[in-house]
Amino acid sequence: MMPATPSTFRRWQARLFSTPLQGAITLVILAALTVAAVPLIRWALINATWQGTTRADCVPGGACWVFVKARFLQFMVGFYPEAERWRAGLWALLAALALIALIKAPAKHRGSVALGVVVLLPSLGIWLLAGGYGLKPVETRDWGGLMLTMFISIHAAFIAIPLGILLALGRQSKLPVIRLISILFIEFWRGVPIIAVIFLASLLLPLIMPSGVGVDRLARAIIGLGLVIAAYMAEAVRGGLQALPSGQAEAATALGLGYWRATRLIILPQALRISLPAMTNEFIALIKNTTLVLVVSILDLLGVAQASIADPNWVGMSMEAFAFSGALYWLICFAISRWSLATEASLARATER
Amino acid sequence: MRLSALLYDKKIRDLIYQVAVLGGLVATGVYFVRNASENMVKAGIASGFDFLGRTSGIDVPFVLTNYQPSDSILALFWAGVANTLFVSLIAMVLATVLGFLIGLARLSNHWLLSTLAGGYIEFVRNIPLLFFVLFWYFGVIAALPQPRESIGFFGIAFLNNRGLTVPATESLSAFGWALIAILIATLAHWTYARVAKARKEATGQDAPVMLVGLVLLIGVPVLALVVASIATQWSIPALRGFNYRGGFVIIPEFVALLAALVTYTAGFIAEIVRGGIQAVVKGQREASYALGLTRGQTLRLIIIPQAMRVMIPPMTSQYLNVLKNSSFGAAIAYPDIVSLFMGSALNNTGQAIEIIAMTLAVYLVIGLAVSALMNVYNENTKLVTR
Repeated sequence: MMPATPSTFRRWQARLFSTPLQGAITLVILAALTVAAVPLIRWALINATWQGTTRADCVPGGACWVFVKARFLQFMVGFYPEAERWRAGLWALLAALALIALIKAPAKHRGSVALGVVVLLPSLGIWLLAGGYGLKPVETRDWGGLMLTMFISIHAAFIAIPLGILLALGRQSKLPVIRLISILFIEFWRGVPIIAVIFLASLLLPLIMPSGVGVDRLARAIIGLGLVIAAYMAEAVRGGLQALPSGQAEAATALGLGYWRATRLIILPQALRISLPAMTNEFIALIKNTTLVLVVSILDLLGVAQASIADPNWVGMSMEAFAFSGALYWLICFAISRWSLATEASLARATER
Repeated sequence: MRLSALLYDKKIRDLIYQVAVLGGLVATGVYFVRNASENMVKAGIASGFDFLGRTSGIDVPFVLTNYQPSDSILALFWAGVANTLFVSLIAMVLATVLGFLIGLARLSNHWLLSTLAGGYIEFVRNIPLLFFVLFWYFGVIAALPQPRESIGFFGIAFLNNRGLTVPATESLSAFGWALIAILIATLAHWTYARVAKARKEATGQDAPVMLVGLVLLIGVPVLALVVASIATQWSIPALRGFNYRGGFVIIPEFVALLAALVTYTAGFIAEIVRGGIQAVVKGQREASYALGLTRGQTLRLIIIPQAMRVMIPPMTSQYLNVLKNSSFGAAIAYPDIVSLFMGSALNNTGQAIEIIAMTLAVYLVIGLAVSALMNVYNENTKLVTR
């Protein structure tokens, strides 16, 4: 008779060695893992150097984590002037608070909180980072690292999410001209590579402005990314709009609500809840695509890592730089996707009756 | 009174909204175009497509067409398009193979295999593609040995930090014949399969379609390629001094971009494969077994056709992603259309608007063509309902 709860040993035996074939596969995989993982662990942990300040402190044959330690702040804020780095820290705190406020706000006030964040975070944040009005000015050329990755992602999302919602509504609209314009906009931006869009934005935006009006390099990249991601966001929102039974809109109309009131009060709250996982995926894609600003010489986290490889004082640190920046990207994107899954599950529970 | 009634008429109002939106967009567009033309006159930038006929003078390290630096800028454009298509197509094939393997491993009963595949998928999906491109280029390829200490493959291909040197041939005529033989074999198999199917539907008699297919679709091509390569004069790379002479050098940028595209895209394709197979409800498999179909028949006739219907649309968008993502090569100077045309040619001529329009048009045209093909395919495989 099978015991109610099989012992750990039995469970693992069933998982790995239930039949001779399964056992053989297990052994082959374990052998391959050992061959791959042992040198990796030896490099990253056993032979690695953790203490010290210069390259000379590092033992050959192991990872030189001293390099990451020495350059940690550069990975975080790029070449932001040392005396002003507290401003970058304050901005990060502000952004984190804004995100927590957005997530924790009760559903009733979420709209007004979102409006407040969209207005306050960029204005306060840009003042804090760029300076002026009492703060020492810091040019965007000196911004960088993880801070810049998050800055670009958040602000491009501030363009992409509202525009994407409007485009998704436009694509579903009964007015032919609005629908056509929305479809053309969405399909155009979805059809071209993002790297080309970043080139395009950095070349064309200064050209189409009246002479004398300059557009900051960083702003160009953010606008370019925002436009492309808006098209992808629109498709994510469209999924939610199409999943909503048409009875919802009809009932709203029957109750005497006009288009905008029905959309704001009935359609969007439900559609956005359905679209949230898809929209989060687009945000993750946005964080990943932010790395492309490298081609217009803006140094985000990956850019700083890439630049640090060329430092003559730290020759041969490419693996350390890649390992650290890659792990950071992975952690951020993985955390967001797990948060999205958890939210999806709790929303599903909340709507169950 | 009449006027206010008109204003509240739904049709009139809809018309007003649309005219207002269109008018606003046109006005903005005109404003931008006027600024642009003023700025271009001020900066002394020419306009029009005359620059395409000019000599390009740009040296391209990796060319598939007959392009020479003395050729026109238009020839440079086509060389870039060819490089983009070349790396994309190879990446699509390899990523599909790797993605299917990982997707099937994810679905395997074997706990370790499935966990490992899941770990791979979670790993690549949460890291930027540009990271992989730079990692392969600056981390892996740059760490490869000098040409003198190359890693050899059977003495005919050599991998070192200057790229992969493979045997090359001056004349492709033998392969042309091989291609014709393969096409004929494919056509023969297609005809045979149709005849066999018609006969089966009419009489219920089975024909050895699988066996004949194996011979025609795998045996004939392999034989044709072997014969063609024996009949061809090869130039085998050999070490002379500090580098290899002879053969064809596949530049490191190509190898790095291809490796990054394949390993990254495979993670996404694996998820599509898993989703497609899981979307076929369990009852289908059980019903198929109950009808007496074998495991192989169930997979071939019941599971795969239904899984394909779910998988084809997301696979198409992955293929288009590969095409668009091949532009990531611009970050490591792989000479694709973005890097050659939007980069080099634009620097030489300064004609931003024309060059950007042509570059984007390449991607849009290919994307539209693929979408159109996919729509036809979808119409043909759509579930027929009442």
